[in-house]
Amino acid sequence: MKHWWKILGIFLMIYSIVAGIGIPLKPGIYDASPSKANTGEQFTMNAVGYLTQFDKTPDDLRAWLKVGNDFAIAANSIGVKNESTLNVSFQIPNNLPTKDRVVDASLIIDSKKNGYAIFPSAVFITNTTQQTSPEGWNNSIADMHEFKSMAFPYRNILQETIRNLFYHVPLWFGMMIIFLISAINSGRFLMTKNQKFDHKASAYASVGTLFGILGLVTGAIWAKHTWGAYWSWDIKQNMSAIAMLVYLAYFVLRNSFEESEQSARIGAVYNIFAFVTLPMLLFVIPRLTDSLHPGNGGNPGFGGEDLDNNMRMVFYPAIIGFTLFGAWMATILYRIEDVKQRIEDRAFYE
Amino acid sequence: MKEIISCIFTFLFLLTQNLLFAQSSHDQFMRSNGKIYVVIGVLISIFIGLVLFMIFMERRLKKLEKELNENG
Repeated sequence: MKHWWKILGIFLMIYSIVAGIGIPLKPGIYDASPSKANTGEQFTMNAVGYLTQFDKTPDDLRAWLKVGNDFAIAANSIGVKNESTLNVSFQIPNNLPTKDRVVDASLIIDSKKNGYAIFPSAVFITNTTQQTSPEGWNNSIADMHEFKSMAFPYRNILQETIRNLFYHVPLWFGMMIIFLISAINSGRFLMTKNQKFDHKASAYASVGTLFGILGLVTGAIWAKHTWGAYWSWDIKQNMSAIAMLVYLAYFVLRNSFEESEQSARIGAVYNIFAFVTLPMLLFVIPRLTDSLHPGNGGNPGFGGEDLDNNMRMVFYPAIIGFTLFGAWMATILYRIEDVKQRIEDRAFYE
Repeated sequence: MKEIISCIFTFLFLLTQNLLFAQSSHDQFMRSNGKIYVVIGVLISIFIGLVLFMIFMERRLKKLEKELNENG
């Protein structure tokens, strides 16, 4: 079977779409209100869950408000309205445990069936007495339950769009691999002076540019609904747009010479330089300044809670699938170029 | 061939017009059901990109076929 890798690529792409869309998210907290409280008051908040089943096991529900890493208060009553709505009441102590005037507290809800869910910065608690004491605050959070069935992590703001990790990120990983193959073919052309390798390099660069542009478009759609704008002038967005311009210049350069030998040679040298700039533009510069992308600037990497083992089982096959599919497209484009060259050669010798 | 391309561009044009003028309801729709439609949008845009690439390759092949018909 000569075509096994194409079949594998298509299989992995279908797998990444079916598993990436089909596997549910873990239960999470979608919303909590009101978001302001004062010290010393009896505070009741309305928590809305996502994919939760609060009504199935109303007795083993537990909830906390957590301040920093060391302080928390447990809820003194939890009322279940329906499967996704809770009324959680807290007796907030008279003083805050830290010196701040206002602290933000995360809401944590735990149950055997749904596992634990965290809503960061759910309440801002204002210190009305302006005194600091840890009295009433203790870290009683223990015996947390994990959600048992196969699911992807629920992240606030990201929600279901966490699945875009299987479609947006593999485009960029696949683009890097395809541009690497393109640069290797350019190097082989410079060593052998065989036109075949130049056509291969150009075909792979075309597919790499397609993947990059699709990466920009899919990233913009994702950004609109999580960061708030299609283009936030984020350093990684800007740098990847520049990387695309660098590769568009490769095609302009390659097509601007009359003589094919000369255009192939200059194109190959430029292609190798273009590939060298890629890691700088996509990995080095975004690390130096602030970026909205995970793993850049002050942001933590896309790992831990964001990329658990269930997601890895879809994410890595998706990268291989997209890369193999891109390589397939590139071989078809190369074969078209090759046939064109042969027709021209035959016409020349006749 | 030309009809197909003009068809696709008309469709894309209408789509963007729709998105521009119905911004708020579009936003509401995209944020419903845990923002799952953002994932659908991403998948559709990847599909459209692959289709446009197919058209690009077909046009190159068409040129070759023409050349063969004229010379061969």
